[in-house]
Amino acid sequence: MGSNPAMKTPKDAAIAGYGVYIPRYRLPSEEVARIWRGGEEAPLIKKAVAALDEDITTMAVEAARRALKMAEVKELGAIFVGTETKPYAVKPTSTIVAQALAQHKVLASDLEFACKAGTEALQLILALIGSGMIESGLAIGVDTAQGRPGDDLEFTAASAAAAYILSKRDGDSIAVVEGASSYVSDTTDFWRRAGQPYPRHLSRFTGEPAYFHHIQSAVKNLFAEFGYKPSDFKYAVFHQPNPRFPVEVALRLGFNLEQIKPGLLNPYVGNPYAANSLLGLAAVLDEAHVNDLILLCSFGSGAGSDALSIRVLDGVEVKRRKAQNKVMDMLKAAVDIDYATYAKLRGKIVG
Amino acid sequence: MAISYWRRRDRYYRLLGNRCTQCNSEYYPPAYLCRRCGSESLVDVEMPTTGQILTYTILREVMSGFEGQQPIVIGIVQLDNGVKVLGQIVDTPLDALKIGCRVRLVFRKIRDESNVGQIYYGYKFTALC
Ligand SMILES: [Zn+2]
Repeated sequence: MGSNPAMKTPKDAAIAGYGVYIPRYRLPSEEVARIWRGGEEAPLIKKAVAALDEDITTMAVEAARRALKMAEVKELGAIFVGTETKPYAVKPTSTIVAQALAQHKVLASDLEFACKAGTEALQLILALIGSGMIESGLAIGVDTAQGRPGDDLEFTAASAAAAYILSKRDGDSIAVVEGASSYVSDTTDFWRRAGQPYPRHLSRFTGEPAYFHHIQSAVKNLFAEFGYKPSDFKYAVFHQPNPRFPVEVALRLGFNLEQIKPGLLNPYVGNPYAANSLLGLAAVLDEAHVNDLILLCSFGSGAGSDALSIRVLDGVEVKRRKAQNKVMDMLKAAVDIDYATYAKLRGKIVG
Repeated sequence: MAISYWRRRDRYYRLLGNRCTQCNSEYYPPAYLCRRCGSESLVDVEMPTTGQILTYTILREVMSGFEGQQPIVIGIVQLDNGVKVLGQIVDTPLDALKIGCRVRLVFRKIRDESNVGQIYYGYKFTALC
């Protein structure tokens, strides 16, 4: 395999604001086990479940409004929505978000790369700002992930949104992306054919050749190119499809549990696909200090990873105080539901 | 999208009303002339996103397009600028609902034209009590 040079990220583009939306309802995994596994032991996860009248469009708008408020940016030049659970197969979600935000002079598009589409959106916005094509842009990772009833995925497939406003760097900027490295291959561990409601997966592929290979490759390339070592980072956020994989990949790459704990939300939210690692990043930005270095690495089936090194800037504290929208507060507002309520909320039964 | 809904989408998506430039009275839905001073000079303005429940009712039988959502709570909300709007109140257990509850604006699906039609989005409220 040839070399995979890291990307030269623009130094004059930075995160100006971020906002997350986690729906209120939580389905404990024991409920899935109670219905489909005869009550056998389940992993200790509660997954976020969207209400009947929520979809990726509504959650994207909620997250974007919070991000805009924090960023105090008036005009956007681009809106990208990364998702795999579009309510319309044809007709963009990004235009509905644009209308709801009263932003019309924008390049708008939806991106799909399983759980990786959110970090992709972020990289593309960075590039547009760096090239001088736009001043500010909005990147959203959002999904209402669903598993076939009784399938392994049903324990974790969750709903949430994370939105990031990127803008020309100034004294109020929150963080800058120092380096980026992406790695992809044709490795099918998970897919959904057009017209099908639920995805399929090959369990034997999910770990080693898919998740671990792509994340480790992207991170190792990033480290080689920029000379980083794990101890340079205060925090590391890896894609977290379950509570186990991110811990294992962190340890393999030389990180410790202290570095990953603040961004490890899987036990409280489940796996909201394209929002997954961006949600972890938001939780980290909620507590990070100026000059902290953060590693963010997504993984999407099909397959690929984006590894980003993110340096926290001076604006973080003032912006955070103004925004008052912490991931932790959204986690505290959660309400547990049973499987019957879950079935109603996700349209599995209709009255 | 039905033409009438499409025309009003900013009202439904952003709670876009208007304000009289003469006496600052605010209206939702937008007024053609100020009901207080008679001025015809009004500018678009987004309504506040918080308010309180003035009254509400619970629908246990629902119209077509709303199947599966029952019970539905419809309330009259007084926004923080004094304007009263009608809207659905969601994500709130019925036994927690009270007149006077603070509410926050949320963006939700209003209704679906089955699996093949269009999706209508708009504002609703969620109680903070
Ligand atoms: Zn007037």
